[in-house]
Amino acid sequence: METEKRRPWRRWVVLGLMIFSCIVGGIFVPVQPVISFSAEKLIEQPLFSLPVIGPFYLVNSIPPLILTVLLVVVLAFFTNRSLQKSAQTDLVPRGIGNLMEAFFELIYNMTEGSTGPKIAPIIFPWFATIMFYALFANLLKLIPGFESIGLLRQVAQGHPAPGGFLQPGEVANGYDLVPFLRGASVDLNFTVALALISVFMTQVIGIQTQGFGYFFKFFNVRNLFKVPFFGAMDFLVGLLEIISEFSKIISFAFRLFGNMFAGIVLVAVIPTMLSAALSRWTGNILPSMLMMFELFVGVIQAFVFGMLTMVFMAQATQGHAQEEAHEEAHEI
Amino acid sequence: MTGSILDAARFIGAGLAMIGAAGAGVGIGLSVQGALGGMARNPDAYGNLLTNMILGIAFSEAIAIYCMVIAFLMLFKVV
Repeated sequence: METEKRRPWRRWVVLGLMIFSCIVGGIFVPVQPVISFSAEKLIEQPLFSLPVIGPFYLVNSIPPLILTVLLVVVLAFFTNRSLQKSAQTDLVPRGIGNLMEAFFELIYNMTEGSTGPKIAPIIFPWFATIMFYALFANLLKLIPGFESIGLLRQVAQGHPAPGGFLQPGEVANGYDLVPFLRGASVDLNFTVALALISVFMTQVIGIQTQGFGYFFKFFNVRNLFKVPFFGAMDFLVGLLEIISEFSKIISFAFRLFGNMFAGIVLVAVIPTMLSAALSRWTGNILPSMLMMFELFVGVIQAFVFGMLTMVFMAQATQGHAQEEAHEEAHEI
Repeated sequence: MTGSILDAARFIGAGLAMIGAAGAGVGIGLSVQGALGGMARNPDAYGNLLTNMILGIAFSEAIAIYCMVIAFLMLFKVV
């Protein structure tokens, strides 16, 4: 068998780009972006305001959010077209339709493996939608230009202004950069919204599959009169489940937000520390490697968000009544 | 160097709050160790073990997330 000699030229391009970014970053020293917990306002005046909720501002995480939604819709459109085309001709999916079919088959099998074939069609859309949306929101952050192009703002304790961008007389205290674009999932509003959707739909699916017997999970009064002491214990444990539902919202939201926020802090802080410790040339080669790590973290966190949604939904569909039925069956 | 002693206390407090993440790290490591051992012994139970492992990781990771929330509250003067 004759083996074709592989010429991996693409990795040399990547290495060349990394060295290029190192040299360019040494000549034009980049200004450090502002590390802020919340998104910055692009326009000071609110866009519109609602009576109870309050004013709505155009913050710098809104444009990436719109871009994420548009990307998902465009991808869905082309996948649909490709699959319809293959359905009309020879039933062989090609191109993007094939790719998406393989991907969705993988995660559908995963859902079916942990929930069973009957409940999987109910849970799967939520799992796939949340995972896909979070994946796009996480990966869009890695495009060059995000968190690095913006307006300079004079602050009391900022960083020294770069040469070439400002007039010499203007350098006073220091500046920081308010970027135009900030990753959609680095905004706590986005992650809280996804977490609320996930937890709320978990309750809805629980009621859908078990009826009102689902609420026995929270107000467990079935054994309260049969076995007084342990019944009361069960009731208290059921009340703890309510707290657990609320803590799910917090942990969902802050897991995604914390990982993504740690990403921008890492990309901003590590090069600064390195260029302060060694020289300004060395500090600029690391961000490209940190971006690879960010790619990994973004994919993993999107997967974990979807997977946890799926697992909690699967848990909500299995009531205590079924478990007891199983135990009785074992005893017989 | 300017700044109040309150700022210094905030930064120290945020750092101390994140010590709690160590426990969560140990917990996640132990649960993954158990799940991987189970998967190696019984590969058929892979799907079931993976689900429960991720669930367990989520619960122990929640502790680290609460630590992080406290650290954020101190760091960014939310409260």
